[in-house]
Amino acid sequence: MSVPLLELEDVRKHYVLGNRMLDRLAGRRRELLALDGVSLIVREGEVLGLVGESGSGKSTLAHVAVRLIGLTAGRLKYRGEDLTAKDGRALRPFRERVQIVFQDTGSSLNPRKTIGRTLREALAMRGVARPGRAAQTVKLLDLVGLADFVLSRYPHQLSGGQRQRVAIARSLAMQPEFLVADEPVASLDVSLQAQIINLLLKLRAELGLTLLFISHDLALVNHISTRVAVMYAGRVVEEGLPREVLGGPAHPYTRALLSAVPRGLAGRRAPREPVPGGPPDPSDLPPGCRFAPRCPSAQAVCRERYPAAAQLSPTHRAECHFAAASGAARTAAPHSS
Amino acid sequence: MNAPLLEIRDLRVGFPIADRMALAVRDLSLDVMPGEAVGLVGESGSGKSVTALAAMRLVAHPGRILGGSIRLGGDDILALDERALRKVRGRRMAMVFQDPQTSLNPAFTIGQQLLDTINAHRSLTPREARAEALEALAMVGIPAPERRLNSYPHEFSGGMRQRALIAMAIACRPQLLIADEPTTALDVTVQAQVIALLRRLARDLNLAVLFISHNLELVAELCDRVVVMYGGMAMEAASVEALFSAPKHPYTRLLRQCVPRLEGGQERLLSIDGAPPVLGQMPPGCPFAQRCPDALARCRSDEPPSRQLDGHSVACWVAT
Repeated sequence: MSVPLLELEDVRKHYVLGNRMLDRLAGRRRELLALDGVSLIVREGEVLGLVGESGSGKSTLAHVAVRLIGLTAGRLKYRGEDLTAKDGRALRPFRERVQIVFQDTGSSLNPRKTIGRTLREALAMRGVARPGRAAQTVKLLDLVGLADFVLSRYPHQLSGGQRQRVAIARSLAMQPEFLVADEPVASLDVSLQAQIINLLLKLRAELGLTLLFISHDLALVNHISTRVAVMYAGRVVEEGLPREVLGGPAHPYTRALLSAVPRGLAGRRAPREPVPGGPPDPSDLPPGCRFAPRCPSAQAVCRERYPAAAQLSPTHRAECHFAAASGAARTAAPHSS
Repeated sequence: MNAPLLEIRDLRVGFPIADRMALAVRDLSLDVMPGEAVGLVGESGSGKSVTALAAMRLVAHPGRILGGSIRLGGDDILALDERALRKVRGRRMAMVFQDPQTSLNPAFTIGQQLLDTINAHRSLTPREARAEALEALAMVGIPAPERRLNSYPHEFSGGMRQRALIAMAIACRPQLLIADEPTTALDVTVQAQVIALLRRLARDLNLAVLFISHNLELVAELCDRVVVMYGGMAMEAASVEALFSAPKHPYTRLLRQCVPRLEGGQERLLSIDGAPPVLGQMPPGCPFAQRCPDALARCRSDEPPSRQLDGHSVACWVAT
């Protein structure tokens, strides 16, 4: 197995809510548990697909992974080096190797700078000397499949797909080895999503990039990932190879997610009974397993105790009291529509 | 066959751009039969939402309906005055929008807003109106409706808000529900609930639905027929079965191949080069010609008329 690049060990990110002073005087403490004990390893060369609904903590995890925000507890390591307590200048080398691309192409580029200037500034950050920058910007654009006419354009003059390519080009200016993509195609039209997905896969092949790909779209994650992690209410509830997690899900939440994916004609012929309710409020989590209130197969124990992780194969684990017991059902679970 | 409930013919809607009217909807025709669910599919800027707004006569200034006809149950919607229109909107056809956050007034309870809708169209005693409101909430699966009548929108989750909006839409028992991307802002598992709800309501109330979405797979689950729009034009219209088993228009075909399916099997996603055309910069001829792998010279100069082909209506010079 290849080298671990990014390691999260029991990472917690809690936000204190409300008026701190008033709450403290009243002896109250309301916390939002965005990440509540996440352990995850991203290995060199892999595409880890992270799936979850809103409020599951997947974007918080992305921000922690690139150390845009600090941790409340736990450890963050990159290539074995502990970054948990580092900040500012000490993070510079890490920041050059790890880049992030966001969902919203409209607001992640500076509207007052031309694309050329944005890219040249990124190159300057890496220490590329001024004379070399022009040639390098053209190379970057070429890498993401844009012609050099965009250099003189402003972000608003480009389409959403073109802007996302520029954002990717800018992140590549740092010559990263690890790219975090947080819902990079969620705001794009269907016909443009494939362009960006294919581009990410091309960059992975050509530059050997490692990817953390975050999305709520299971079909997309299944397509792009070499490994999949499913988040629910601040925990990674299941992780494994795509054929394990999406082909034979062991966690009832993963099964619920899978059955919610629209399936065209197949879904029309056999409509599925959707799981009731919605994701829990991360500032008011239920005791025990967080999915228990919605879970069709929840038992008394599920409402009392958070389940330990069940290791189902060397690569497959799930946090469910009955993960192992659902093995028979899993092998029988159809993985086609 | 009986008459269509909603009949749109050669609809043209324009927005002024640089001193001329740019067409957001170009000669669109569409029928929705009583009790039928029709999907209107397209990417952003395809004209699908503008079509829906036009059907409700809600196209906002400076946009204007420039031509064509819209009939609901035989009545000419474009000929109605504001007063007559108010009797149609909400009563005979109702609309649900994408964003349940902004479609509800945050300062009033769900009950007040629901009762306003009911009282605007029906003369009921307060007791009867309340009973209707409760029934509407129960019908859309809101638990403990008595208590929920007194809740404010912020006390509802996104999925619950969309349910409340659907309750308002069906409270006066319209014949047609226009739903514009009603599940796009919702989480995947909640989206599945709302789709199941719409399917059940359509069946139980014999409600016709015009369902607007960018997601073909979703449309196929809910609808009987699909109209695929691009650049303001209906590129292809057919039954869901026909459209999925044998798409005729190159755009429909490509659109299906550029999204991954869960069962996998696609080595590489097909990508359509370029981007959808922008209003005001519409190329001559077929709006898809510039991105179409099958385009002929003619496609770039002449707008393709809609023609019948094996039960599909297709606007394409090339499709066979």
